Amino acid sequence: MSTTLILHPGTGWEAARRRAFLWGLLPSLAVLLAITLVPAAALLVASFTLLSLTDAAGTFRFDDPLVNYRHLLEDERFLRSIATQLKLSASSVALQLAVGLALALLLNGRSKLLGATRTAFLIPMVLPPIVVALIWKILYTPDVSPVHRALEAVGLPVRSLIANPDTALWAISLADTWQWFPFTMLMVLAALQMVPDEPLEAASLDGANRWQLFRYIVFPHIRPVLVVCGLFRLIDSFKAFPLIYVLTDGGPGTVTEVTNYYGFIQAFNFSYWGYASAIAMVILAGVFALSWLVGRLGWNDHDKR
Amino acid sequence: MTSANPTFSPPISTHLPPPAPRTRAEPAGEPPLSGTRRAGWLRRHARGLAAVALLLVVMFPFLWLVQLAFKPGAEIFEDSLLFVPTLEGFRSLLQGNFLKSFWNSLAVSTLSTGLSLLIGVPAAYALTRWQFKWRRHVALWILVTRMAPPIAFTIPFFLAYRWLGLQDTILGLAIVYLTFNLAIVIWLMQTFFEAVPTALEEAAYIDGCGVWQAFWRITLPLAAPGLAATAVLCFIFAWNDFFYALILTRTNAITAPVAIVNFLQYEGWEWTKIAASGTLVMFPVVIFTVLVRTYLVRGLTAGGVKD
Amino acid sequence: MTQRRHLLQAASALGASALLPGFAHAQSGAKKFQGVTLNVSTFSAAYPKLLQQYLPEFEALTGAKVNYDAPSFPVYNQRADLELSTKGSAYDVVNVTFIYSSRWINSGWLTPLDDFIRNPNLTPADWDVNDFLPGARAPETGRDGKLYGIPWTAEALLSASSRFDLVQQAGLAYPETTDDLVKVLRAVNKKERVAGFVSDSHYGWTFVPYLHAFGGDVFRKAPDDLYPTLDTPEAIAAAEYYASLLREFGPDGAITYTPDQVTQALKLGRVNFTDAGQLHLAQLGDAATSKTIKTLKFGQVPKGPAGRFPGTAVHGLGIPVGSKNKEAAWAFIQWALSKQTTRKAVLAGYGSPARRSDIDSQEFRAKQVINGNDLAQLALDSIEQASRTGHMKYRTVSVYPQVDQQLNKAIALIASGQASAKQALQQAQAQSITELKRAGQSL
Repeated sequence: MSTTLILHPGTGWEAARRRAFLWGLLPSLAVLLAITLVPAAALLVASFTLLSLTDAAGTFRFDDPLVNYRHLLEDERFLRSIATQLKLSASSVALQLAVGLALALLLNGRSKLLGATRTAFLIPMVLPPIVVALIWKILYTPDVSPVHRALEAVGLPVRSLIANPDTALWAISLADTWQWFPFTMLMVLAALQMVPDEPLEAASLDGANRWQLFRYIVFPHIRPVLVVCGLFRLIDSFKAFPLIYVLTDGGPGTVTEVTNYYGFIQAFNFSYWGYASAIAMVILAGVFALSWLVGRLGWNDHDKR
Repeated sequence: MTSANPTFSPPISTHLPPPAPRTRAEPAGEPPLSGTRRAGWLRRHARGLAAVALLLVVMFPFLWLVQLAFKPGAEIFEDSLLFVPTLEGFRSLLQGNFLKSFWNSLAVSTLSTGLSLLIGVPAAYALTRWQFKWRRHVALWILVTRMAPPIAFTIPFFLAYRWLGLQDTILGLAIVYLTFNLAIVIWLMQTFFEAVPTALEEAAYIDGCGVWQAFWRITLPLAAPGLAATAVLCFIFAWNDFFYALILTRTNAITAPVAIVNFLQYEGWEWTKIAASGTLVMFPVVIFTVLVRTYLVRGLTAGGVKD
Repeated sequence: MTQRRHLLQAASALGASALLPGFAHAQSGAKKFQGVTLNVSTFSAAYPKLLQQYLPEFEALTGAKVNYDAPSFPVYNQRADLELSTKGSAYDVVNVTFIYSSRWINSGWLTPLDDFIRNPNLTPADWDVNDFLPGARAPETGRDGKLYGIPWTAEALLSASSRFDLVQQAGLAYPETTDDLVKVLRAVNKKERVAGFVSDSHYGWTFVPYLHAFGGDVFRKAPDDLYPTLDTPEAIAAAEYYASLLREFGPDGAITYTPDQVTQALKLGRVNFTDAGQLHLAQLGDAATSKTIKTLKFGQVPKGPAGRFPGTAVHGLGIPVGSKNKEAAWAFIQWALSKQTTRKAVLAGYGSPARRSDIDSQEFRAKQVINGNDLAQLALDSIEQASRTGHMKYRTVSVYPQVDQQLNKAIALIASGQASAKQALQQAQAQSITELKRAGQSL
């Protein structure tokens, strides 16, 4: 049963309805245009200049439109930031998927207790990201961290994770996983609901054990969800900011400086607006490509059913 | 993740469908007749126990922050777990800018939610009832705006606001938040409106109601729970924002998340103050989450997953 | 402490209102700036913290309300730079940070203060701008000769040891040269769980004296020839030396220490040696919070093969060009740096005043003798020396902030073992050149 009405062109009343809908739609379109497309266009324009506010009029010139992009290709710090971003995204998404999946399987039961724990597990995901950053700042500061002090008490003193270049990125990855695993958990839980009962019943009556049930029946069903989930988290991971800002400030050195953070530094430390716009454009392009991918997969998923 | 039912579909939830027959494979089966009672009880509740244990481990960082907020300042560096709780940390927040930033957060989140709903709900309804060819493109647009890194918007917005005089104002922030909240409203409300049968509206048309009259009198009340959930989600997303507030506010419209960062840098690293402010700032969000947990997945996957 | 503060405030409100003619006639009816909200921002340091305590006095005098914002040094600089560059009106009074002073003043982002000073209605005659050290006023003066900031600190980078008793136990004296320092640190590192050395992570400030000591410099010949010289053999040697101090003798997480953390670490006796300005070191003499007050010793920064080059810094208060409350802002600056207020701060233990009258005063000299060390004399000697050799010219350059950040990152990289001194400095050199070019500097 369709929830949309079939409009017959030409009928006076239908035309009036169409106009009414248009009026409902227009404010949103206008606003979205003003606050998304216009700034994006402005960003693109700015990325073709060497705009810097120490000499705004003088630097707003288009002599060499691609100068920033050329610089980006030569800028080692930028290229390193992309590598760092990929490392961080890959590790935290993988961890989130693993932890989320494991917890979803565990909590997929019907008792009230499980229902309550499922709700409690949502908390990390909805906390303001800055609060998450603070929580982990406390945990990663040896002076006040209960974990560090407990380890020291049992004779295994651990040096500060965020001041050590080898472990800093992993420390952020861990904090990020803690924050976002509920997302995967929720989506997998929802997908687990949709796993049809009959094949499971039949297989378990035939003597399949839990692992086999999972591997041959449950997993294929939730795999598309895992993929979409992973892509979602991947795109979101490009926005990582509060954790890095509070925990490491891009350091030690530049080992936790991701592209988003590098763009922030370029824009807001010395007002290199032109260059920062170019960096932002690169990130946007990546986000666009991935979003398109998500859109395709999400839609395909629906079409299959 | 779509529902096969064409009529009113239950939202994606963390609650499960009514109990199925017990032949479903799950560990909580009847204990073998020869097992001891304790082993049986353990096996039956193994899942629950594991869940609670894991919950404590995973929630530990969060709980640590909350307990730190009540610890007397002098004992921060001590190792003891027992202490006399005090409200000193919270009281120290009363001096300085923190309370003001808290009200600012409330104001901005409420205004942003209100604006998003005002502009987005009619659009969502129009998109639902009007066969729209470009739905997929709109969905992609919505997804991109939600997923775009804030830096892409802050540079143009910063410059524009400087010129418009909206820098460091509550209205300015609320407008910026429309970049993600409006899309959420449109996306979510669509799914709720879809669930309202058109028959009722058609009946109203026959009675002589206009499109929007019918909407106001019939559709909206039916979709009210969805509206409430959407409003709460918008509030949460606006409340949690950090980056935009960091760049676009200074002293007037500074929001709570940004104000907290100020404490990080004072002498002595006032940990109790940090913990107290963190606890306060997360409090509304946690409460609200419990209220809308059923709609969270929908809110967070807006644009990407058809549901 | 709070009681004393209240008493002080009450007394000073009474006393100050009599001494400040500008507000005398306003006492009768409405206060001069009733209803005005002033936004003051500076970075968190000793003098601003004292000012924050005295704020009620100012508010009572003028009727203005003060929003006081004091984030950490890097955060403050970034926010102020951003706000000033857009000529915004979010702040009425800002701190003119020493490494940014040239950038901000010569870009026209601050308001010249000469007219305010000369105006007898706004500034009492005895306020005496010439009482501020000429050496402190110089960096606050623009190329056009106008004054853009009133200095609140003239400080020098000094060396300090919180557990000098451990050095004495090892039979050594206070280190004079860079070689001595390493010897002493090797002897005392980790004794009684006290780490040897730490410094605040603003290496563009704490490392440069060592850069100079080894014969290197930041630019070829500031302020005329601004070609960076960060990768010369002398610079590499200096960086290797300094980073090894942090790596071998530093506490856990040494490269993330902020100035407040350093001060705290020395107060609690967790770290022994550091280099810091007397702005911070004076706090070590606070008997109430310092556990190491009995074992403190101060000295000058070590001498290297090329000599001794203590760093000096001046911070001042200024008015952004976009401020909408310039008169009220000037009233605040004038009050905050009046003789009464600065003297009050000195009496409270403030260690680096910029007024000659304060520096020469008995109270200041007496307060700055901590555990037998005359901190004030050490600082003055260093400041004298700096003005003679002119080695601080590098930081009056408007593009220094960019290079400053490169130095911060480079030392952090070397100290954490991610790069050799040569690699890190070559990288810093290359990026500095790029940034200078991007800022429009011709090299």
